[in-house]
Parts: sequence; C-alpha cells; structure tokens
Amino acid sequence: MISFVTRRLLASIPTLLAVLTLVFIIVRIVPGDPAMVILGDQATPEAAAALRARLGLDVPIWTQYFRFISAALTGDFGASMVTSRPILEEVAAVLPHTVDLTLAAMLVGVVVGVPVGIWAALHRNGVIDVAARLLSLIGLSFPVFVSGIFLLLAFALHWRIFPVIGSAELNDIPDRLYKLVLPALTLGLVMAAYITRVTRSAMLASLSEDYIRTARAKGVPWRRVVWVHGLRNASLPIVTVVGLYVGILIGNSVLTEIVFNRPGLGKVIVGALNQRDYTMLQGLMVIYCFIIVVVNLITDLLYGVLDPRVKQA
Amino acid sequence: MKKLLVALLVCAGAANAQTLRIGMAAQDVGRLDPHFAVSTIDRVAVAWMFNGLVRFPPGSIDPAKIEPDLAERWDSSADGKSWTFYLRRGVQFHGGFGELTADDVVFSLRRAATAASSAFSADFRAFETIEAVDPHTVRIVLRENVPSLLGIVTNYSGGYIVSRRAATERGDGFARAPIGTGPFALERVTPNASAELVAHAQYFRGAPQIARISYRFIPSDASRDLAFQNRELDINYGRADQTWVTRNRALPGVTVDVFEPGELTILNLDTTRPPFNDFRIRQAVAHAVNRAEMVRWRGADVSREGQSLVPRGYLGFTADNGLLPFDLARARALLAEAGHAGGITIRVVHTQLPEMLSGMQVIQQQLRRAGITLDLQVVEHATFHQQIRQNLSPLVYYAAARFPVADIYLSQFFHGRSRVGTPTAVTNFSHCDMADRQIDAARVSTNPAEQLRLWAEAQNLLVRAVCGVPVIETLLVFARRNNVDYGYPLTGAMSLGPLITEATRITP
Repeated sequence: MISFVTRRLLASIPTLLAVLTLVFIIVRIVPGDPAMVILGDQATPEAAAALRARLGLDVPIWTQYFRFISAALTGDFGASMVTSRPILEEVAAVLPHTVDLTLAAMLVGVVVGVPVGIWAALHRNGVIDVAARLLSLIGLSFPVFVSGIFLLLAFALHWRIFPVIGSAELNDIPDRLYKLVLPALTLGLVMAAYITRVTRSAMLASLSEDYIRTARAKGVPWRRVVWVHGLRNASLPIVTVVGLYVGILIGNSVLTEIVFNRPGLGKVIVGALNQRDYTMLQGLMVIYCFIIVVVNLITDLLYGVLDPRVKQA
Repeated sequence: MKKLLVALLVCAGAANAQTLRIGMAAQDVGRLDPHFAVSTIDRVAVAWMFNGLVRFPPGSIDPAKIEPDLAERWDSSADGKSWTFYLRRGVQFHGGFGELTADDVVFSLRRAATAASSAFSADFRAFETIEAVDPHTVRIVLRENVPSLLGIVTNYSGGYIVSRRAATERGDGFARAPIGTGPFALERVTPNASAELVAHAQYFRGAPQIARISYRFIPSDASRDLAFQNRELDINYGRADQTWVTRNRALPGVTVDVFEPGELTILNLDTTRPPFNDFRIRQAVAHAVNRAEMVRWRGADVSREGQSLVPRGYLGFTADNGLLPFDLARARALLAEAGHAGGITIRVVHTQLPEMLSGMQVIQQQLRRAGITLDLQVVEHATFHQQIRQNLSPLVYYAAARFPVADIYLSQFFHGRSRVGTPTAVTNFSHCDMADRQIDAARVSTNPAEQLRLWAEAQNLLVRAVCGVPVIETLLVFARRNNVDYGYPLTGAMSLGPLITEATRITP
C-alpha cells in the first residue's frame, strides 16, 4: 500500500511541473498589466515601470520562470503581488472554508443521490423512477446562482432561519456549521442529481447480472441482494463519479461562494485573475492541482477496497 | 431545532450591537496602503483610517471649504510657492506607534511623491522640497504654482499621512497592516470576506461612538441586497440605477443617499486616426448622442447630462462651450458629407464590466440611428485598460471622477503630455493638444479670475474640436438603515463612500 501511494505521488510530480509551466505561461499570455491594475488609471508609465521592477516583472521571462520554479520546488510560492502577503498564508485563510463546503456538499450529494438512485432503479419506469429522473434533470439544469438565490429567499428572507451572509469565523464551529447549511444544500443538490442518475444506471446494470438472479434463486433476502450484491458491484462507477466530482465541486464552488458571501479558493482564483496577480494564480493552481491529485489517489485506493481484483492487478 | 437557530441568531445580533456592518460590491480589498489605494473599495476604507494635513469637511467635496485636519493652521508666501503647516500636538497613531511628528508628514509626502512607492506621484510634480522645520512644523516649497496645493495635501489620494516607523518596519506588508491616525484602525482582513476595523480610542477628535466596522465584500448585487433587506447590513453600496433607488427607498426604515462626485462619462474620439481624424464624423457622433435619453435610462435621481469635458461643479467648469446638441438629421447629413451616406462601421474595444457595458450598449443604439455602427469588441476589464492605452480603439467610452478642479481632468484627459502611447501618458485617448497652452497657463496662474477664464477657453477649444463627447454624469449611491446617523449631511465624499467618523453612531 505504502509503495503504491509513494509511486502515485512521485508520478504526480511531472503533472505538477507541467501545471506550473502552463500556468506561468497562460497568466502572462492573458492581456492586462498587473502594474496598471495595482496603480489604477491615473498611473504614469514611470510609476508603472517602477512597480514592475519592484514586482520582478522587468527581467526576461526565462529569468522569471526559473526564479518561480526554483522557489516553488522549495515550497516557496512567494507573496501576492496585490496584497504582499505570503501566498500560503492567503490560501490557509480560505482553504478551510473550501474544504467545509466541498465535504458538506459531497455528503449531501451522496446521502441524497445514492438512495434515490437505488430507489429509482428498483422501480424502473415506475412513478418513483420517473419522478427521480425528472427531479435530477431539474437539479442538473438549475445553475447554482439561481437555486442559491431561491434558497436565500425562502430560508433567509421568508422564514428567517438562516443568514444571507455565509462567512463565519473559523474558530466558531457551531456558527461555521450553521452558515454551511444553505451553501452545502445548493451545491450538494446538483451533485445529488448527478449521483442519482449514475447510481440508477449502475444499479440497473448490476441487478440484471447472473449472480443477482442466482442469489435470488438461492433464497437470499431481497434487501441483502440489493445492498450487498447489487450496490457493492455498482459502487465502482459511483466512486469514480464522486472522485471526479470533488474536483468539479472545488471549481464550481466559486458561484456558491459569491451568492452566499463565503470566502473560498474559487473566489480567490477569480480575484487573482481579475487583478492579474500572477504569483497568487501560480500558487493557487499548484495547490488546486495537488488537491486533485490527492483526491484521485484516494479514489484509486477505494477501488482496491471495494474490488479486491483491482488491488491484485 | 428552530428554537436553537433563533437563539443563535439572537446571539449573533447582540454581538453586532456596536458593529457597523457595511456591504461593498467587490471581491476583496486590494492595498490598504493609502498611497496605493486606487480602487473604490480601498479608497472607502482608507478614509476611515487616515488623515491629511487638511480635510474636506465630512460630507462635502467643496475645495473652498477645506479645513484643518492634522495641521491646525497653515500659511503661504505671497507668490504661493512656499507653504508652512503647523501640526496639532498629541495626535496618536494606531497600535501604539506614537505621536505624529513632522518627520511622519515629511516621510509620507515624499513617499507619496515617489513613483516606486505611490500611485499618485504625478500629483506632486510641482513639489520642490518637503522639510521639517521643527517637530511640529512642515514646509513645502513648490517649483511652480499649482491650482490647489491644499487639494494635494488633503485627506484624499497621496495626501494621507502614514506612520513613518510602521511603513518602514512593515515594508510591503504595510499594504495589509496600515497604521494611520484616523478614527478607526485595521484589525484584520479575511481574504474575500471582510475587513474588520476597531475604534481608535485615542483619536484626536475624540473616541468614535461606534466600536467596530465590519466591511464586507459581497460582489453579488442580489446577495448584498438580500443581506441588507435581512438586516445583516447597516449600509449597502448601491447601484446608480433608478430602479434600485426606487426599490430601496420603498423599504421601511431605509434612507438612500445619492451624493457627489459625479462620474463623467465621455466618448473620447482619437482625432489622429481614421475615422475620427475627419472632423465631420466626430461632429456626427456628437449630434447622434442623446444625453436626455441616457439620463432617462439611468435615472433622474442618480444621473444628469454631461455638459462639458469637465464634470459639473468642478472649479473651472463652464457649460458655455459650444457643445453640439442632439440632432439626428444633422448627424446623418454630416456622415453623408464625409462620404458615408450608407453608414459607417467602427470597431471599438470595450469592457465587459456590466455598468459600463450597458451604458455603451445604449450609446451603440443611439449611434446606430444615425448610421454609425459600433462593432463592440468586449474584453475583460484589465484587458480593456491595456488595449485602450495601446491605441487599439478609436473611440473610448470612459467614466471617471477626479479632484474637483478643472485642471486635473483637463491635464489627464486632454493635455498633449498625457496622450496614450507616449512616455508621459495618462488618459488622453483623443490625442488632442490644442488647449495645452491654456491648461498650462491656468495651472500656474495666481489670479483666480484669469484661471477661470483660461479653463473656460480650454473647454471651448476641446469641445468645439469634438475631442470627446460628454455623455452623462453618474452619482454615488449608498443605502443605510435609518438608525445609522453619519453625524453630518452626506452630500459628497472624495473617498467615494460614506465617511465613518467619530460622530457616526447607531441609534437603538
């Protein structure tokens, strides 16, 4: 197991390097001058040149690249061009909020999506199945900035149960959980819609297998057939989708963060892009990429747990 | 469960009793170092934390009313080139950084005048020396006269005074750990969420009545408005839009403040390149713009017609300048005269920023009626700023507010030295330079009547040459709960947001 994890982590190094290089190039290709963004529209070329020199943007691009790579390899992503604060500090300030939202949304997605998907598969083409498919289609079709506003109108303005502003102090756990409810529902219900459809398909395929018919013929209780034989074999595609969706959740969380006024990685990325904060964007992309690598690794490990054949292979 | 949630809400409400909660339409603050505070969100907060040698009275932007701030008095030489400021005694910086001295003032003004440490260095071009005469006296000597020396050292842009020790010790970190003398001190910034400020108990005008300010960054208009409606905010940044104003005015217990400075939108026409190097086409554009319609679209409460290439109310503004009236038939005739009877298509770079894009789309429709088709190349905002400075757009839709003296607007937008694409560029997109002599002469004139005459002459020359077409002036809008008393009537704020002072209070 340890050698598997080590091999996977080592294999991710070229990916991270490629991401570092790509991000470095892309942020510089995008038009827009960081010095002008920082200095505003009254800045003179003299002031802009002075700031560019201070930010290290006046040296050749290769020098900038090697400085960046060599610093990144030692874990130093530098400081934000806009705020001058270390990037790791900036990320550390918002990462817990992103982790909260991602995990809570994933929980909502799995807890709602898997049972509904199974239920729909067990009532194939029945009223329940049609209703589940219809609801999941609606869930997938609604952008989070619409569903989020609806939830705010209902639960914040009408019933006054939850607040509109969803940012909480990190050390105030009850407040953090309380303010997480609506954003997690908003993001999680979209994921639930997706998981419902995948679970339904996987269960239908699984339930039509010979071993299910054999188990039933041997008199195994139906509940056990469904949950042990059916679901376990259907779980690989579900785990794959959940793993993939975590990356999507982090990426998509920006709209939820904006609607519910929460801090988070997504908002920081958008802000850094608007402000042409090259160093911040570079650091954020590496951290984002690292998170995706770790999530994929966990997904792979889960495959082995669910299906011993994968481990043997 | 519901009881528990209600209890939590009550607790949260109690904790906020002395906290003024302000919602701002922005993703995050940038630099809270006052000499780099260029965006609206930064300027608003910086004004709560810093003072200048002099200040606009809270709620006013009238340069004639500038009053003492950190300096309790000042005098100037007969030729207006030497100014001496006498500092108040006992003014304390935030965070135990000690008493303000002349050294801090000299350091701050020199820092603001240096391109490497300030976004406003150009404002100090005329400064020759800044020196401390004694620990409580500062002398500024000018190379040449300026229209308003007090305007440069007021509580605005480069005029803010910082703690020399804090700025030196903190270096670049000063941007997020600033130390000033104002009524509120920065406690912390949570990226993408809020800036928390605490009252400066030793503030020289007396301890503020409000204990804290929670300055919240809420970019989504819908969410910010919902939070305000839900009483989670006491003050809300508003859109300069009649529908928004009318809707908020109808809310119980809410006051909407509409205040100066007005941001003047101008269509800047590049007079050196086709098609606008043809005077008739510039005139056609000027005749095709329907300012009254623009005001109807934006709202009469929040906007007014642009009347010159300098905003209304600025010292030196004149409406008597030969501005071409709306006349579609004349616009079409001029276009035909210029050889474009079948119409003309002009490729224009524009920003995707919603407020500016919607305004430009109205202009696009107005010009289309005259046969002028604007082929809008909509790009992201930072890209827009870069491309218009590379002369990639013959027409530039630009909205700005500046220090309320005609010289600043004329110098930045219509002086030959400020032409984009040159080493001394600022924002002269029209490339006009026919009024340089008048602008320069007015700047150094010590005769106020002569100064006004020269500024009026400059506006006449520029408007008649159609270097730009003034469109609309848009005012600032903020909504507040009626229990928020600013402590002064809010008619204007150079910091582009309500000034929170020691007198501001929240009544029960």
